[in-house]
Amino acid sequence: MAEEYDVCVIGTGAGGGVMIDQLTAAGFRVVALERGGRVGPIDFDDDELRNVIRDEVFSPHQLETYRFDASSPSQTGRFSHLAHCVGGTITHWAAWSWRFKPDDFEVLSKEGPVAGANLADWPIGYDELEPFYTQAERDFGVAGDNTKNPFGAPQETPLPNPPHPVRVSARKFSQGAKKLGYHPFAVPKAINSQPYGGRPRCMYGGACRSYGCPIHAKATTLSVSLPRAERTGKLDLRIDAMVFELPVDDAGRVTGARYLDAAGSAHEVRARHTIVSAGSIGTPQLLLMSKSGAFPDGLANGSGQVGRNLTFHHHPSVIGVFDEDLRGYTGFESHAAFDDLHASDPKRGFIRGGVIGELNTFTHQPIAYAAVLANDHTFGSSWGAGLKDRIRAFPRTLTLTVIAEEMPMEENGVDLDPDVKDRFGLPVPRVTKRHHDNDLAMFAWYEDKLVEVAEAAGAESIALGRNPDVHITKTQAQKGNAHNHGTARMGTDPSKSVLDKWCRSHEVPNLWVVDGSFMPTSSGYNPTLTILANAYRVADHFVREAKKGSL
Amino acid sequence: MSDENRREEQGDGLSRRAFLQRGGIYGAGVLVALNLPRPKAAAAAAQSTEPVVLSRVEWANLEAATARIIPTDHQPGAREANCVNFIDKALANEDSVAVPLYKGGLAALVGVAQARHGQGFSALDAAQQDAILADLEKGAAAEWAIAEQLPSPLFFETLRAHTIVGFLADPAYGGNADFAGWRVAGYPGPRHRRGGYTPDQVEGKAPIVPIWEQ
Repeated sequence: MAEEYDVCVIGTGAGGGVMIDQLTAAGFRVVALERGGRVGPIDFDDDELRNVIRDEVFSPHQLETYRFDASSPSQTGRFSHLAHCVGGTITHWAAWSWRFKPDDFEVLSKEGPVAGANLADWPIGYDELEPFYTQAERDFGVAGDNTKNPFGAPQETPLPNPPHPVRVSARKFSQGAKKLGYHPFAVPKAINSQPYGGRPRCMYGGACRSYGCPIHAKATTLSVSLPRAERTGKLDLRIDAMVFELPVDDAGRVTGARYLDAAGSAHEVRARHTIVSAGSIGTPQLLLMSKSGAFPDGLANGSGQVGRNLTFHHHPSVIGVFDEDLRGYTGFESHAAFDDLHASDPKRGFIRGGVIGELNTFTHQPIAYAAVLANDHTFGSSWGAGLKDRIRAFPRTLTLTVIAEEMPMEENGVDLDPDVKDRFGLPVPRVTKRHHDNDLAMFAWYEDKLVEVAEAAGAESIALGRNPDVHITKTQAQKGNAHNHGTARMGTDPSKSVLDKWCRSHEVPNLWVVDGSFMPTSSGYNPTLTILANAYRVADHFVREAKKGSL
Repeated sequence: MSDENRREEQGDGLSRRAFLQRGGIYGAGVLVALNLPRPKAAAAAAQSTEPVVLSRVEWANLEAATARIIPTDHQPGAREANCVNFIDKALANEDSVAVPLYKGGLAALVGVAQARHGQGFSALDAAQQDAILADLEKGAAAEWAIAEQLPSPLFFETLRAHTIVGFLADPAYGGNADFAGWRVAGYPGPRHRRGGYTPDQVEGKAPIVPIWEQ
């Protein structure tokens, strides 16, 4: 009989990578199954066409379908901004590293029920996650100054690295924010501002989000967690391993995983515990593919909540055009933010909110910039002299955005597409996603605020923000995102949630989920530090319980 | 993926609204939206600036059209950047799915020019060319003979997107000749393999020299 591992981890991104690291460090034998291949610094150039426009570096085989709602036709394509590779999507993250605020853990209690939304409290509070935020910040070398955001989560331990240089665009943004009475600060970033953890200081090359870091100055599971795990000798990492089923035994326990290799041949591994971290799209896909007599609707899906309550973040964005080169093509994605407008205020006509930041998503990428702005008719024609003038404005532009919290809706989610199959013949994930009215009201309100900030900063003209073509409307949802959460939410009630407070299935005692799908609500901050911290928390619990013999 | 899905994806990926809607503008790898297939054009482009897929006549008409998308003024435009070469090499490689679109579209474009002015598109003056392209963008050219098979706005959007990409992609792909696009954009070039920027450059305290002057 094949070797039985202590633990099988599916996925090597933010959640899975931390589990692999922490469990191998504790002496467990871990087999890790990664659907993608190995990429590394040698592959990480900053060719915009290769990396972004054609997206051929990180997930060449990714395929999904999308539909607006259950009665809409589906479209086939690649909508989610994912990376199917060793290290997962955190490999090309922008490294914004927030702690969620205490109220982000109890949205239902704080706000009360909202019609059409499926709000829920988290089964844990900020205090329970706090020590693990500290651990994640330390391991991932977060740079910044947490004393400078009066609206952020309470935090006693200083960040391990000092803030980065202030890009010209960030200075401009902060001047505008201050003029309006706000409190801008350096975005906490898991990017080295000095040599740290055996990794060098950032080289400020401009291309950060959507790109791998060629020098590992950006902390990722690829640069931090997996090398450590590989040094223990306890890790069996298998690449190009597309898991298609989690088999269960007669007692209703998962026995490991079945996967297809690159050639499409099936293999099986056996493990005492299985930890799924395939992302909020891939995890429900896998659980729903794992049907059995005991779990006819998919593994761990007695509640019917697997694949439901998918949230992204929506991102109202505005581009201000200034009279000087703002050097957006240097540094990394975002150097400055302010949080004054984040707190929930029902008087605005919506609840919840988000953090506001400047970013270089367009201003380090001339193709993306020109192609998107060519569609903005604020300046007139989308071709000819108007387009050329827009291209010339490239270095003088500043983008402002919001990481805006969305309402979870039960009907938004991921299931198996009944028609479209991947290259192995497996059903691809079908994403169904539309916006709640609260999202739309929030979008419009923040867009106006971003215009105010851009104008206070001295913008001569505004693009995107006043263009109805780019507004999200009631009949049009944002397709795909880099921030995916909620499709296997945790909770105390097994009839309304998939996981318990330890991210362990209510129904299957040796099945755990540690990617962003555990989040009942998404907050108005980038989610990754919270996914990392939660994985440290779950790993800590796992090791303790295992030592007690309780697993 | 069925052929039907593939067609739908291609058509959808090249339309303007879908382009915006698919990704949103921040979260979703916005330009994954173009959904163009995989790459070998850099190598092909490096080998030759002679037409590979396009005929000489197609090349001339396409070059003239790109030159109206990004015109030449006191700075170089799509013609000087050799965007037509970028498109030709892309069609020979990763964008081969669009070959019928270009072959059919360019023939129809010439058909409109012939019907209106008795000459090929590349022989017209700029105002005549602009008037035709504006009608193609709107789907308003009655002389466009293949509206059933290929709506003119789809051809126009593809042409426009490809011209922009050819103008601003790395010169290794065959366009952006002599860094023309990056000069116009004020973009000093990619730095991952050139050591990045110093903190002083990030903060605006030190000058930045473009890669073509280094």
